[in-house]
Amino acid sequence: MSLTIYGQSLTSRLLIGSALYPSPQVMKEAILASGSQVVTLSLKRQNPNEQSGQQIWQYLQEVVTQVDGYLLPNTAGCKTAKEAVTLAKMSREIFKTDWIKLETVGDDYNLQPDPIELLQAAEQLINDGFKVLPYCTDDLVLCQRLYDLGCEVIMPWASPIGTGKGLMNPYNLETIRFRLPQATLILDAGIGKPSDACLAMEMGYDGILLNSAIALADNPVLMAKAFSQALQAGEQGYVAGIMAQRQTAHPSTPTLDKPFWHQHN
Amino acid sequence: MNIHINGKAYSLPHEVSMTVSAALNLYFIEPQHSTFAVALNGDFVSKTEYDNTHVNNGDSLDVLQPIQGG
Repeated sequence: MSLTIYGQSLTSRLLIGSALYPSPQVMKEAILASGSQVVTLSLKRQNPNEQSGQQIWQYLQEVVTQVDGYLLPNTAGCKTAKEAVTLAKMSREIFKTDWIKLETVGDDYNLQPDPIELLQAAEQLINDGFKVLPYCTDDLVLCQRLYDLGCEVIMPWASPIGTGKGLMNPYNLETIRFRLPQATLILDAGIGKPSDACLAMEMGYDGILLNSAIALADNPVLMAKAFSQALQAGEQGYVAGIMAQRQTAHPSTPTLDKPFWHQHN
Repeated sequence: MNIHINGKAYSLPHEVSMTVSAALNLYFIEPQHSTFAVALNGDFVSKTEYDNTHVNNGDSLDVLQPIQGG
């Protein structure tokens, strides 16, 4: 079953980051193992005479071409709408894509997205023709506002980026899914274990975006495979229809005519 | 004039103003062979505007390149 992002059909529901890997080779192998077709990247100040930036860029292009995938530039590090809009425009020129993973940092301690700047930036970018994928907190009203602005994809956090704490507030995430059935919801940031991703997919999330959980694993390539399988398991579980929880025990094995079964009151 | 490129101060005594193209030529060896984007005082400058946009005394030019990201 495929994921659709702004009209592009993807075979994998996993979006993967390109940072923090032990080496470019491990990054490439992990991306290939994950099955992901969307790779995030960024921009930084650098003199083009220093060829390291050019080499990384060429390497990422090769990987994305190999998976027949898409680049998803981010606005990491931006605090204001103005900064994010400028960086998005620079990214569009370089990467030739109108997709932008919109990030606005509101707090330096937990890197919590700034909802006010995020909304302002999203509106400006949408008006400028961008396809915005906003990274936001798990606030239902904020997600609704972003969707109303025209963000077809909403990316609430599981927990602060890089913490690996998993789904901090499952109730919020379930509520967002329930209240925004038409939105493409991708859980972004804070995922630590494959089971975290599986849980979100069981809730009906459309995809997962992660980086650290794979890149910082002892074996990133194996972890990439594990996440790929976890997403598939969670998605299939959601589609199959999860049984309703019951307050009392019910025997799995039929007890009728069991000779030694005694009903105690 | 004095300008900043990527946060570093540059003193250019013979110029009162120059285009973005001229500033990049001072800074880069072969900008045409590199992948980068430019902002002037925090505003994006498209490649098509490098020859029409002027850098003045006190301005800040940012030159950004692709890196890995999450």
